[in-house]
Amino acid sequence: MDISAIIDSLHPLEIKVLTAFGASPDGVTLATEQLATATELEPSQLSMAIEWLLAKSLLSVESEAVTPVVSLTNIGEAYFEKTAPIERVLAAAREVASTGKRLTIPDLQTTEGLDPSDVSKAVGRLKKEGVLLIVQGGCIESTGRPSPSAEAMRTLLQQLHNGSHELDSFPEAHRQLIQDHAVKRGNAKEPFRVDDRVARCFALPPMGVTAADHLAKQGVTEEVSQLSPELLKDGSWRNKRFRKYTISLRAPRIGTGKKHPYREFLDTVKTKLVSMGFQEMRGSLVETEFWNMDALFMPQFHPARDIHDVYFVKEPTHATSLDEPFLSKVTKAHENGGTTGSTGWGYKFDTQRAKRLVLRSQGTAVSARTLAAAPAVPGKYFSIARCFRYDQVDATHATDFFQVEGIVLGEDINFRTLLGLLNLFAREVAQAKEVKFLPAYFPFTEPSVELHVRHPRLGWMELGGAGLLRPEVTLPLGVTVPVIAWGLGLDRMAMVALGIHDIRELFTDNLELIRTTKGIF
Amino acid sequence: MPTISIFKDDFESLLAGDGRRKPAVSVEQLEEWLMLVKGELKGHNSETGELRIELQDSNRPDLWCCEGIARQIRIKQQGKLKRYSFLRQKPRATQYLIVAPGLDRVRPYVAACTARGYRVTEEGLAQLIQTQEKLADIFGRKRRTVSIGLYQLAKIQFPVTYDLVKPDQAKFTPLGMETVMTLSEILMVHPKGLEHGHILEGHERVPLLHDAKGQALSFPPIINSREVGEVQVGDEDLFVEVTGTDLPMVVLTLNIFAANLADRGARIAPIETRYPYKTVLGKSVVTPQDLSKPRTIMVKTIEQALGQSLGAHEVKKALEVYGYAVSVGKNKVKAKLPPYRQDLLHAMDVVEDVAISRGYNEFLPVMPAQFTVGGLSRIEQLSDRARELMVGLGFQEIISNILGSPENYRNAMRLDGTEWGRMVEVDNAMAVTFSCLRQWMLPSLLRVEAASSRAFYPHRLFEAGEVAIPDPLHELGSRTETVLGAVLAHATAHFSEIHSCLDVLFYHLDRSYTLEPLAHPSFLEGRVGRIVSEGMPFGVIGELHPEVLERWQIGVPIVAFDVNLTQLAASK
Repeated sequence: MDISAIIDSLHPLEIKVLTAFGASPDGVTLATEQLATATELEPSQLSMAIEWLLAKSLLSVESEAVTPVVSLTNIGEAYFEKTAPIERVLAAAREVASTGKRLTIPDLQTTEGLDPSDVSKAVGRLKKEGVLLIVQGGCIESTGRPSPSAEAMRTLLQQLHNGSHELDSFPEAHRQLIQDHAVKRGNAKEPFRVDDRVARCFALPPMGVTAADHLAKQGVTEEVSQLSPELLKDGSWRNKRFRKYTISLRAPRIGTGKKHPYREFLDTVKTKLVSMGFQEMRGSLVETEFWNMDALFMPQFHPARDIHDVYFVKEPTHATSLDEPFLSKVTKAHENGGTTGSTGWGYKFDTQRAKRLVLRSQGTAVSARTLAAAPAVPGKYFSIARCFRYDQVDATHATDFFQVEGIVLGEDINFRTLLGLLNLFAREVAQAKEVKFLPAYFPFTEPSVELHVRHPRLGWMELGGAGLLRPEVTLPLGVTVPVIAWGLGLDRMAMVALGIHDIRELFTDNLELIRTTKGIF
Repeated sequence: MPTISIFKDDFESLLAGDGRRKPAVSVEQLEEWLMLVKGELKGHNSETGELRIELQDSNRPDLWCCEGIARQIRIKQQGKLKRYSFLRQKPRATQYLIVAPGLDRVRPYVAACTARGYRVTEEGLAQLIQTQEKLADIFGRKRRTVSIGLYQLAKIQFPVTYDLVKPDQAKFTPLGMETVMTLSEILMVHPKGLEHGHILEGHERVPLLHDAKGQALSFPPIINSREVGEVQVGDEDLFVEVTGTDLPMVVLTLNIFAANLADRGARIAPIETRYPYKTVLGKSVVTPQDLSKPRTIMVKTIEQALGQSLGAHEVKKALEVYGYAVSVGKNKVKAKLPPYRQDLLHAMDVVEDVAISRGYNEFLPVMPAQFTVGGLSRIEQLSDRARELMVGLGFQEIISNILGSPENYRNAMRLDGTEWGRMVEVDNAMAVTFSCLRQWMLPSLLRVEAASSRAFYPHRLFEAGEVAIPDPLHELGSRTETVLGAVLAHATAHFSEIHSCLDVLFYHLDRSYTLEPLAHPSFLEGRVGRIVSEGMPFGVIGELHPEVLERWQIGVPIVAFDVNLTQLAASK
């Protein structure tokens, strides 16, 4: 790597360490403490900088010395504050000597609350020193002699309480005591800890020397990582060097505000329909059978009106009223055609049935309401309506789903303009140039058409259904011009575009999936 | 609508008509022809020759069988429907059917005919059975309005009686059983009795079809006798009977069977039914009978609807090759449906048949030319604006089912027995998980929270969508309104954080608001407020109650708001 690239990659901490080697760094060796003094860095920062430089081979370890260092453990600090076990045992033995009571090893454990191993260790050492005797019956007696161990223990506790010391600075007897009472594997409850302190001396390898020289020549332009308001305010950014970042790293993830991909798809459709001159309609999630089906000339005995196809509302079960003259006119259309030119279905229309409340099962219910509300002629309307079907939920059946559908009213509406409109949908909504029109059946249209398109990516697929509303539908609702009713089946297109295979995923509860699914354009 | 199974070989012979050579039909050709019958090929087994076809038109039961599909295509090829001679024939004096008094209150109508000289083939039998099932099931509403029986003619002695008997008084061996059973036993034990018995519920006496010897033919609409009513491959002479509650439907069904059997080469002989009560066709009804009446339609009506000038002769041609009988008058045509159809309610039905007969792709599409102005509803505009703002505030949009469970929408929200817990519930729910409409938005968002504890935090979610709010004063018992819900979930989620979001939202929706203390069980007391603007409440904001979080098994605090956009839109 070329030297200026190396210099650019240096962190401010690394620069501090390199410049600590002075103006002629070649041959200079510095110990960790010296580096700490020269750089004025915190130990953690210094060791970080040293490790980075070692990894880059800009610094090398000249020598390494290992020194054992003694310090107090938490237990040692407690002994210092109170007493060490050996002192407790000695004091107890001396006390019984003056009172004439008997003292056994178990007594020491119970009355003094000492650990059995601490007791036996203390008793053993004191006996060896001739400070204690074990007499008949396991009783402990004091000989009255002073204990060098107990005194040494106190001295060590005092010395080490003020800070750690190198092990070698202690006399042999103390060292022995320390070793006996140092924390070891399997025995953590000891007052002393002996750690190896590694003292390293560092030097600069040739590359390091070059870097340090370079830094020296460059002068001390301070490097900063972050431009700050202060630097801008006083103009001092001019004397700063801005550390270069490793921009090839992956960016940290953040949460985004964004639209749901499926909703975004529906928004696109909505925008297209508006741009084609369609006015949006809204309706109710709960509808009467009248508007959901009767007004659409679906006879009350029609199989699709079965208990197994529509959700019925529990409470209230029926609407309080149905608007006239629609009720009477629709009733006549069903029973004998009324004035629609139809024979009707020839059955007795049940008004109570018409008032039954259901969850809207088809978006056409919204269109029926619009037809009855004096729509504009010519007029184009659409709705993206949530509908409910009594279906077993699986990968291709949802219990509630969106239907995109609407109506077109006008004097010029006929079978050919119906096909023209479908052509437009094919081109605008599915970007399809090839279309096929197939005869279809819907209870409320005649003629009825199914629109199949060749989607640029998905191949031939059914895009929607449409037809001219039957006069039995339009006339009772007060509409005298021909009306196209159309519906688009967009779920499959949305699913393929969103890369999902299960219709339930359109309404998924998986936030990670929603966050990562890309929208459709 | 029905999906049926037909066999290519059988189809090809029917397509050729009697006595002709069978032309081989390619699948592609078939698919194109299926446009004539609103059919879609769903599957094809090239080894067995089985074709699965879905028929769309619920008003054309004549097409729900191989014979009907082949007939519609054959007419187009031959240019005209061959007249069915049995319609002009007189019934034999000995072959008649007597209806017992009282049946007008149970199952009033019956129609029958005989079919001789067609040796039943395996494929033919399969079609007969399938047609019987599909017609009774879908057209006959699970046998309620129409059911059909087929019998070996040789075993029957005329006249046949459509009788009314006490269920304990008659007995026979039903199909699928080994032993003689009374009608009550059939209702209680036989699978068909259990399935369809409810049709006869509440009647002390039930229908029974028997012959002059007193031999039972069947127990309509439940089951046939095994001795007489089991048609087998090789049988040559058949008796066909239809019973039901609507005479035109009963006659139409019999006409379809008669036409089907005639197409297979049988000689159909009509039967007279003698009623003790009046029917729309009189007290003596001969079937099969052509019930369709000619209808005069102005050619202009057809041309206007199609957007194409055709002339009377083109219309005549199109309708004839589709099976109609047509005569041409001045500027008008007189069109009559074939006897196996009864779906001409309006002139528009004829218009569609003209279009189908000519082929939809023969019509040149024309763009509707009249200018209209597009636009969104006021609530959609407000909702879109609110959504934009929420996205700008860093929230991820969610979209959820509206149909859910009382557990999620009410119980887990601690709203049991409160005004907030009232919902539109479904009477015939399939599963409790989809049994009520959401009345507010927060449970929809908590649904996502509960499932997404492993997605990195913070979570900022919103959904704008419809809810149903129960309202006894509304004619539908509820109002559909658009609501915006938002939740903010992370380890240190705080009321003021969501409050700031609400503040920005209301500022940019140009509404002033205040928060008023509120006791709402879903939220922590003292950390929840009602959002009030000019004295009107528009929603709630607060920190969710820990018990709510526990019920949803959510491990982080959540602050949230729920704003009614519909009411907000109406307020200004």
